[in-house]
Parts: sequence; C-alpha cells; structure tokens
Amino acid sequence: MPIIVTGLITILIGVGGMIAYFWLSNYLLDKVLFPAKGENIGRNVRRATAIRPWLFVFPAVFALGLYLVVPVFYSAWLSVSSFASSDLAARGPLANYVAVLSNPEFRIALLNNFLWVLVVPSASTFIGLLAAQLTDRLSWGNIAKSLVFMPMAISFVGASLIWSFVYHPDPEIGILNAIRATFGAEGGRTFIDGDIVDSFWLMVVLIWIQTGFAMVILSAALRGVPEDTIEAAIVDGANPFQIFFKIKVPQIMPTILVVWTTITILVLKVYDIVAAMGNQYRNVEILPTQMMQSFDSGNYGFATAISVIIMVLVLPVMIWNIRQSRAEMR
Amino acid sequence: MFPTPIEKRSRAAQITYQSLLPLALILWLLPLIAVMLFSIRPFSDFGAGNYWGMPSSFEFFTNYGRVFFESDMPRYLMNSVLITVPTVVGAVALSCMTGFALGIYRFRGNLLIFFMFIAGNFVPFQILMVPVRDLTVNMGLYDTKLGLVLFHIAFQTGFCTLFMRNFIRALPYELIEAARVEGVAEWRIFWFVVLPLMRPAIAALAVLVFTFIWNDYFWALVLTQGPGAQPVTAGITSFNSQYVAQYHLMSAGSIVAAIPPVAIFFLMQKHFIAGLTLGAVK
Repeated sequence: MPIIVTGLITILIGVGGMIAYFWLSNYLLDKVLFPAKGENIGRNVRRATAIRPWLFVFPAVFALGLYLVVPVFYSAWLSVSSFASSDLAARGPLANYVAVLSNPEFRIALLNNFLWVLVVPSASTFIGLLAAQLTDRLSWGNIAKSLVFMPMAISFVGASLIWSFVYHPDPEIGILNAIRATFGAEGGRTFIDGDIVDSFWLMVVLIWIQTGFAMVILSAALRGVPEDTIEAAIVDGANPFQIFFKIKVPQIMPTILVVWTTITILVLKVYDIVAAMGNQYRNVEILPTQMMQSFDSGNYGFATAISVIIMVLVLPVMIWNIRQSRAEMR
Repeated sequence: MFPTPIEKRSRAAQITYQSLLPLALILWLLPLIAVMLFSIRPFSDFGAGNYWGMPSSFEFFTNYGRVFFESDMPRYLMNSVLITVPTVVGAVALSCMTGFALGIYRFRGNLLIFFMFIAGNFVPFQILMVPVRDLTVNMGLYDTKLGLVLFHIAFQTGFCTLFMRNFIRALPYELIEAARVEGVAEWRIFWFVVLPLMRPAIAALAVLVFTFIWNDYFWALVLTQGPGAQPVTAGITSFNSQYVAQYHLMSAGSIVAAIPPVAIFFLMQKHFIAGLTLGAVK
C-alpha cells in the first residue's frame, strides 16, 4: 500500500530531521563556533553552555509560538477589527463584544456553560471517589476499575453517538424508553426536546467519560493514605463512614482539587458532545458551539470575540496554576 | 483491621455488596452493551418488539462487512492512523528534547519558557481556530493530513514538555554530573544517559497522546473536509448521516470507530494510567 509507505517516509524524514538537527547543531556549537580548546577555552565553554539549552528548546518554542502564541493575539486582534457589516464597524472596536454580550442566546450559552462547570466536575469527582473506594480492596477490583475506566478511551463523538441510542425517543431503540416500556409506560419520551433539563442529559455523557479519570487518580491517592492514621481511627471507634469522610478524604484533598480543576478546564472547552447530540436546540447551546456557529456563517468577528471571552474565563485557573507551580519550585 | 472491612462484615452485607457492585457495573456499561447487541441484529429486528430478547438472527458478518466494504470507513480509519502515529512520534520526540533542556539546564529564560508551556496547556483551543485555519490554508495544507499533524504536534508539545520536564526533574541528577565529570559531550549525555531512563515516560506519554489525537473531533472539522483526509471521528458522523435510521449499521460503525483507542487502552493500560497519574498530579 503506497499510502503507508508515504506515511512511513514522512515519519522517517521528520524524526531523521530532528535527530540531524539535534546532532548537527550541537556539533557546530562544540566544534566550530566555540571549540573547547585554544586560548579562549574558558570563554568558549561558557558561551557554549549558555547557548546549548536554546538549541534543545528552539523547535518546540518555535512550534508553540507559530501555532499558539501568535494565534491568540491574532484572534484578539480579529475580535476588535473584523466586522460582519459596515454598520457594526461604525460602532467602534468593541462592537463585536457589545453585540455578542447583549444577545440573549449568549446568556443562555453562558448559563449552560456555568451549569456544565458546576455539575460535571463535581459529579465525576464524587462518583470517581466512590468507585475508587468501593473497588479498593476487592479481589476483582482491578477488572471493575478497567470497566469503569473504559469510556475514557472512547472519543466524545463516539460516546455521544452511543448515548443517542440511550435517549432515543423510540422505545424500540432507546434504552431508557425501553426500560420505561418494560415497566408499562405507554409510548416513548423525547429526552432532548428543547426543555430546560436537556443540558443535564448531555452532561451525563461527559460524566460517564470523566468518572474513570477521577477514579484512577483518586484510587492511587487513597492507596497512599498512611495506614496508621486509619488504624488509630478504628481504635478510637470510628465507623467506616467517619473513616472515609473524616480521615481519608481530608488527606487526599490536594489530589481531589487537582482532579477537579483538570476536569473543569476540560469542560470549558467541550464542544463535541453538544454539537453531536443537541445542535438543533438553542437551549443546550454553550459558548464553544455558539462560536462554531458564528464561524460557520463566516462571522469571524463574533467567533473570535466569543473565543476571547472563553479565554478570559479560563484565565483565573491558568494564573492560579502558574502560581501554584511557582510556589512548588521555591 | 480496617483495610479488610468487607470480609469482616455480616454475611448479608457482604452478599448485597458483592452483588450490587456487578449490577452497578452492568448499568454503567449498558449503553455500550446495547450498541454492541444492536450491531449484530438484522434490520428487521428494530420495531419487532423484541428489545431485550435474542436477535432473530446473528448478522455480525453482514453488518460489519457492510461497514468495511460498502462505506468510506476503512479510509477514515486509515486517515486516523496516518494522522495519529506521526503526531505521537513528533510530539514525543520534540518534548524529550525540550523537557531535557528545561529539566537539566539552569539558564535565563528557563522559567519563562516553562510558564509559557503551562499557559499553553490551558489555552482554550477555540481561540486558535480562526488563525490556525488561516495559517493552514495559506500554507496550502488545508484538507491534508499533514496540516492536521503539524498543528497537533505543536499543540500537544505544551502538555508533553511539561510531562517530560517533571519526569526528568525526578531523575537522579548525580548521574548527569558524573557523566559530565567524565567529559561526555552534552548530546551524548542526552542520548545515552537520559533517554534510556525516560523509557517509561515515553511509553506513557505515547499512549496518552495517541488517544488524545485519535479522539480529536474539533480540529478534524476545522482543518479537513471529506474522506480524503478526515479522521474517523469526523467520518463517523458522516457515516451516520449516510445510514440514518439504519440502526444496525449505525451501531456497527460506532463500534468500529471506538475499537482502536479502546484496544490500545486495554493493551497498554498500565502505561495509560501511569501517564494520567504523572500528568495530573504534578
């Protein structure tokens, strides 16, 4: 198959290129530019040492700059300079933002996003913690864990398609309706139909995916809880619930927070599930799907304005994280 | 002692616990199980009022045969492989080098670059959409696999570098110093001392990035169109609109699309979980 051959050749060129870059640049630095010999040996070695890290860092920094840093600023610039109509352009650079923010649909999207951030991380973390504890000292606990974890490997779109079989309005297709029919309910219920709870049906899909992640990380943390603190609690007559909530959970609190923030960031960016399952309904709209709509209709000004708003929402978490890792370094 | 609580509790409690847990698990996987069962049913079974019963005939080969031989599914799968594998190789190779520099060398700008990578990790990809698409179009790479690969490598580098840096930081620094005292050249230290020690991190990261990229849908929509370059995540939605209401084929297609990452997960579970743990808790 020639397509595989071209693929392999591309990989070989890529990797070969990287190794060649890495070897050649180091060779040039050590042998040609600043050789560790001659009269300036001290100065040469110092300079080579100062430059070398940049040789290693350069490709990644270049790639990140080209595809990440520049686009962020370019988007910000587009949001204040690209207008869908001359009428909009006449209202000053912030016209896109004013238009987006005063749109009632934007408020629905923002509210939905807020609900997603509130519900999905807490539910995934809680169920994950529960699953981690329940399967902890079980002989077949590891198998149980793999099965809980498996949805994590499926793509969001794939999971959405699988779950649209769960919510399908026809009792011959949809599991939930089939269960209702088994208990004697007449006809099928349409779950995602434009009413206020629709978003929650969609959230279930992401919770289903992310619970495994929370469980894996938290069960590793639970294993790390020192046994003597638990023994001491037993000696003092604590019951299993008290041991779990008052001894174990406080000790793994930092990990719980990490899991929580990781899922929160993921939720802010989630697009696939809503797009695949509820796109025809305005009331499940979230910021990323709204952005995609503006993009599809060619309104780059609106699209980038919404994306900048998403960025602003993520910013506090980002700054908090950078501070956190800075504090760890001291 | 507490660490073995279940075995010590009353028999009734034990039995409830041991039987409720499998039940909960089955409920958890019910969506998947149902779709798997759908995919081996004949079309006539839908609407026959036989939801929980046996399929009237086993159509495994017919249904999956149609997915593989009568649709674009194999092309989409192939595209996914050709997008994912180069990305994994590229991102891991790049991040090994960058992680080495950030983890081992103290130089001015080290912290700044490090923070840039953390920040890059949190940037919502939506903000990149319009510029990256313009860039890809201008480079003449729109609707090509290479365009997707280049972007994915760049975008994943942030996370991968953090991962590698933290791993390298935890390696015994004396090893490197000893090599330096012996007069080993820096690039040899990287190649022969550090890289072999990074093998577990490389395996974990590769598995993790594989699933990230394989499951990407957003960028597939933004940077490609049509079966020429689109990966299977985007392909499955077009597949489903092609076979709308043919539930047996739709479910077979969903299963086919989900199998590769799930298989990788089960084969490399240890690395996958190690990757998640390393990536999250630091």
